[in-house]
Amino acid sequence: MPTIARARSVGERAEASAAKVPAQPPQRRRQRSGAAYVFLSPWLIGAALLTVGPMLASLYLSFTDYNLFDTPRWVGLRNFERMFTQDDRYWNSVWVTVKFALISVPLKLAVALGIALLLNKPRRGTAFYRSAFYAPSLLGASVSVALVWRSLFGSNGAVDHFLGIFGIHVGSLVDQPRYALLTVIALAVWQFGAPMVIFLAGLKQVPSELYEAAALDGAGPARRFFSVTLPMITPVLLFNLVLEIIQAFQSFTGAFVIGSGRGGPSDSALLYTLYLYQRGFNNFEMGYASAMAWVLLVVIAIITVLLFRSSRKWVFYAGEGTR
Amino acid sequence: MLVVAAFTLAGTLTACSSSSDDVSSDSKQTIRFVWWGNEDRAAATKKVVAMFEKEHPNIKVQTEFSGYPAYVQKLTTQIAGGAAPDLLQLDRPTFGEYQQKRQLADLTPYVGKSLKTEKIPASLLAGGKADGKQYAMPAGLTTELFVYDKDIFAKAGVSIPEDGWTWKQFAADMTKVHTKTGQAGTTDFGWAIDWFESWLHQNGKQLYTSDRKLGFTEGDLEQYWSMLASMRKQKAVTAAEDTTKMDGSAQNSALVAKQSSSEIAYDSSVTSYVSTYQGKLGYAPLPSDSKTESGMAALPPVYYGVAKTSSHKDAAALLLDFILNDPEAGKALGATRGTPPNSDVAKTVCSSAASADKEVCDFQAKVSDKLSPSDTWLWPSGSSAIKSDFQRIYDDVIFGKSSVSAGAAKVVENAKQSLGQ
Repeated sequence: MPTIARARSVGERAEASAAKVPAQPPQRRRQRSGAAYVFLSPWLIGAALLTVGPMLASLYLSFTDYNLFDTPRWVGLRNFERMFTQDDRYWNSVWVTVKFALISVPLKLAVALGIALLLNKPRRGTAFYRSAFYAPSLLGASVSVALVWRSLFGSNGAVDHFLGIFGIHVGSLVDQPRYALLTVIALAVWQFGAPMVIFLAGLKQVPSELYEAAALDGAGPARRFFSVTLPMITPVLLFNLVLEIIQAFQSFTGAFVIGSGRGGPSDSALLYTLYLYQRGFNNFEMGYASAMAWVLLVVIAIITVLLFRSSRKWVFYAGEGTR
Repeated sequence: MLVVAAFTLAGTLTACSSSSDDVSSDSKQTIRFVWWGNEDRAAATKKVVAMFEKEHPNIKVQTEFSGYPAYVQKLTTQIAGGAAPDLLQLDRPTFGEYQQKRQLADLTPYVGKSLKTEKIPASLLAGGKADGKQYAMPAGLTTELFVYDKDIFAKAGVSIPEDGWTWKQFAADMTKVHTKTGQAGTTDFGWAIDWFESWLHQNGKQLYTSDRKLGFTEGDLEQYWSMLASMRKQKAVTAAEDTTKMDGSAQNSALVAKQSSSEIAYDSSVTSYVSTYQGKLGYAPLPSDSKTESGMAALPPVYYGVAKTSSHKDAAALLLDFILNDPEAGKALGATRGTPPNSDVAKTVCSSAASADKEVCDFQAKVSDKLSPSDTWLWPSGSSAIKSDFQRIYDDVIFGKSSVSAGAAKVVENAKQSLGQ
């Protein structure tokens, strides 16, 4: 592990120099760390007041019945019990979210990787295409794009007209339980720009001698992709996968707007966060919504841990081969 | 003229009578006034606020407005956080919600003093009453109506019976419109609990009882939705995918999208129908099997309330009075919140009204003796959850995921839970 070994030696050197520091008067050290805290303070205050505080409050609220107006009433585990055993819509939202993640994440990563491969070769106008493909990711989370999406797939929308040319009449896709989630998935996949840029960076790191060696051995483009490119970018793939799965589980805006704020007809696109929002802000059940949020946090944490565990089997870090 | 005189007289009276009244003192104060709605309502309201500020130089009014969903969410959070605005716009679910969570100021002490109500019909005032006290003021008058395309109905040979449709005739005629023109007779109206409420009133029942319990049974809803199911089978009403997007706005209306030939609506939306619909529109009362109960209400489309925590209640009441009773303010507001609640102001506005406003005035004049007072139409806390639940379960029914009877049972079960029954 040359890189890691080097990093370690740098660290050791730093430690060694730090070990010599006691020669300085201890007071000066304290002053220095004091300055560090002063510079850190905006972040620390922000983290305490805007992240840790609300999180603890929401943890407390998840054990209460709270309607925003009356004081929260302690109910113990009843919110969780109700969620797991009595709420059909909760399980429906879990199922919709899992479906959404299972379909949208692989598709999005495949598209991102495919386009990244195309853009990796030096061609005229590459810079233009890169920004053009990245643009949707910048706009993606915005309500306006979701509105455009709704009208594209809605009744008398462009998609309906286009399919009409081939004699297929589906009507409004966003207003049918069978298709509503698919349009939300399509919107998510369309925003492939961020993973694409990361894939591009990863592709640039693949040493060209590997390709030359593979070409000499008579490997065709497909073989080169599966034997050289793919293994070499697995760290980037893992990074993208973790990021996108987390994002998929927290996805909200697209489904909210496309599903007219209700999660699509007959709850067909009712993502987890959307249901959480409805419970909290439409039904004023802040305790229940907090409980849902904490379950989501725990589930995302578990999935992330599992992904990292599994990565030992399939992620290849450059330098490992020399071990 | 009389109103102006009364207003100035009352104004001077309050000005010299009470020294404790902080409005009459020179101290400057700022009040916040929030509402939801589209641009034309906002422009009209801001104009009125400017007129008010000119008349009361010591009161400054900060205004905020947004779309409905954002409004409710923001307002609820603000109230919960102790930062409620002074004067706020409410609708039936939010009025019930805030009144029962004790967030609205009792306006009764102001009534007849700085807040004049003598020209506002009692039937309308009743909608803002709860527990015998006035917690909100009606911002206008609206009622239910049936909007239809005159040309399509003429082509289909369907005309509205002199004494109104019975539901049976109505269903037959809507089917006829479909068979003659190929377009659905009317927009499926099973999604909105509002229209179900009218139907219940026609049958001597109500949505919510006066003690805030559910006023209907599973059987009632099953009967109502079954009537729609048979119309759906005949294609007399719109298809499921056209029905599911309904939200009461003209933008998503199936009638405006030419997917249906008519629609049940509130007359406060006539102005937006007229500006968006391509074709000639006619207006009729709702069908009813009863000769005496039209099921139509003299409802305020929205209310105004004053927050309980407001420290400028007197100033807020003054502004409220100005909005409701000042003839110039009424003229500026027009029918942006239904026809004006003050009958004198309404008369002036209606007499000079043009196009859509005039249609609303004429329609209301025609049906005025058929309208029921709004106190029987009060929605309790929990009703906004019930309203969205009602539409969601109706989607299950029209998309065939649930039977009519199972859906009706689910609505009743969930509603009882929302009402804490």
